Amino acid sequence: MSIRPAGDFKTSYARDMALLDTRFTRVGFGLLVALLLLAPLLLGRYLFLLNAIGIFAIGAVGLSLLTGFAGQISLGHAAFMAVGAYTSWLATTRLGVPFLLALPLAGLTAFLVGALVGLPSLRIKGLYLAIATLAFQFITEYVIIHTVGGSGGNVVPAPRIGGLQVRGETMFYFLLLPVWLVGGIFAANLVRGRVGLALMAVRDRDYAAQVLGVDLLSTKTLAFALAALYAGVAGSLFAHYNRVISSEHFGIIQSIDFIAMIVIGGLHSIWGPHLGAAFVILLGQVLKIVTPAVVALAPGFGKAATSVREIVFGALLIGLLIWEPGGLAMLLRKFKRYLDVWPFTY
Amino acid sequence: MGLAVGSIYALIALGFALVYKSTKILNLAHGELVLFGGYLAIALTRSLALPLWPAFLLAVGATLLAAAVLGAAVERMIMRPLFGQPLLSVIIVTLALGYIIRGLMVGVWGGDTRQFPPVLPADVLRLGSLAVPRVGVVSAAVALLLLVLFSLFFRYSLWGIAMRAAANEQLTASTLGVSLRRVFATAWAFAAVAGAVGGILLGLWLGVNFALGFVGLKALAAVILGGLDSIPGAILGGFIIGVVENVIGGYIDAHIRLPGFSLYGFKDITPFLVILVVLLIRPYGLFGTEHIERL
Repeated sequence: MSIRPAGDFKTSYARDMALLDTRFTRVGFGLLVALLLLAPLLLGRYLFLLNAIGIFAIGAVGLSLLTGFAGQISLGHAAFMAVGAYTSWLATTRLGVPFLLALPLAGLTAFLVGALVGLPSLRIKGLYLAIATLAFQFITEYVIIHTVGGSGGNVVPAPRIGGLQVRGETMFYFLLLPVWLVGGIFAANLVRGRVGLALMAVRDRDYAAQVLGVDLLSTKTLAFALAALYAGVAGSLFAHYNRVISSEHFGIIQSIDFIAMIVIGGLHSIWGPHLGAAFVILLGQVLKIVTPAVVALAPGFGKAATSVREIVFGALLIGLLIWEPGGLAMLLRKFKRYLDVWPFTY
Repeated sequence: MGLAVGSIYALIALGFALVYKSTKILNLAHGELVLFGGYLAIALTRSLALPLWPAFLLAVGATLLAAAVLGAAVERMIMRPLFGQPLLSVIIVTLALGYIIRGLMVGVWGGDTRQFPPVLPADVLRLGSLAVPRVGVVSAAVALLLLVLFSLFFRYSLWGIAMRAAANEQLTASTLGVSLRRVFATAWAFAAVAGAVGGILLGLWLGVNFALGFVGLKALAAVILGGLDSIPGAILGGFIIGVVENVIGGYIDAHIRLPGFSLYGFKDITPFLVILVVLLIRPYGLFGTEHIERL
């Protein structure tokens, strides 16, 4: 229920369905992309934040398709990320596959694993599905520790494209940015099309959707597979960015962080996962800086400081779900509406 | 050994089942409530300037009371505003609650394992040919006692009947004069108390460490196996998971060798494999009510 600028008439369905439907959004999106392109100049040594945000935003987009749009709860999203990361590690170190092939390969493997994990979602749903994905999370961790990983870390080589070795934050950023943009736009496109509508119908009531001709088997497995695809790509990028991966990077805590991202960002919005990932990463970083400062001022606080992140995250999640279930995306929209109609709020 | 672990799982599972039965919420923060009980009882026992046994009993009493208050407070402040919200929100809220409680516990008590001063002798009892640690016998007895108490409560007391009615059909029960709010608050308080008892027994046996929140998730396997809304199912499920984990997991750990990689630690994921199998074959568990979905 956004307010349209006066004189903005839609004369065709194509224009009505366009992703960027007004001049404001078109110009705004252009500016955003330009800013992202110039970010290495603007951010300087803080570029690592944007790299982290991008990687986790890609993963979060997947979870938002699965949970926000298809309504299937997954507590094992980090496990898909692990599948991607370890596939990428295996491919580049053991098989000598170049990075540009290893990335899609990681996504594809995760896609297949996701489809497999998604199959039971036909039979079990809601709470039970959440528990099943939780079990999947723990079993994946176990399998990784006992097959490829061990409990130590695995060293991943820096990505190499052609003869070019990708080193440092800036170069990695320009590798990440296209993947991030394509992933985000693909998801936005998916959601407005037939597949997205089917996903939403399944979310609202799966049996009703089935009666209306949505094939439950393919839609639910597709939702899981797509979510896993995004997570797998994010995992592969993370592996090559961090250069060291271990099973601890993809634990249950990471899965819960992903859920925090999409809830904080806004569950039913295509901008939600990006906003959420940015917020979660930035908040973690801010707390890292603020907490020692507070401890320096009040030394008695020192022992509690180790767990501040958990407490703040928990409180934030609960507060948001109680007062603003739409998340940051909804807050932004309300703010925009407030500006649109200001100073007369009727 | 399996039965002793199982009895602790059973107590924790009891808390899951109590909340689920009357409110249809799966409290994923239950593991943290369990640890909270353990930590608090240990801290109180150590800080009271009394002989060991009176201090222990007093601490246990105070902890159970605190757990009940905490449970009711969680219901009042967090769960009630979310009444009728989608399942996802409720699950995430309980996860977030677990985060907060764990964070506070680490902040207050640090990351070390904490133990009771020796309340029970740490010897082993022989039952026939079985050797069971004394704590195991005590916790099994407590689990069975609580099972009997709760069954009697649900069967004969007015409150218990009101709670069963609310569990069966919320709307009808509330039109007939059952206060849903009080029922929910009571259920949360009971669940927190059952969790705290589990935590105290855990503290008596292994000591509590915040990393043991994991135990809560293993107890989840017990409730799934027994049926989410069945209290005897939760208790029986707990014992079964304990035994299965120790017998099968322990056997594979010790005896199966695959070429290439070892299987150590298999014990820890057996409960999750059990969850997957149960969910695929019989999602409502051994004693749970089968839910038929209609449009």
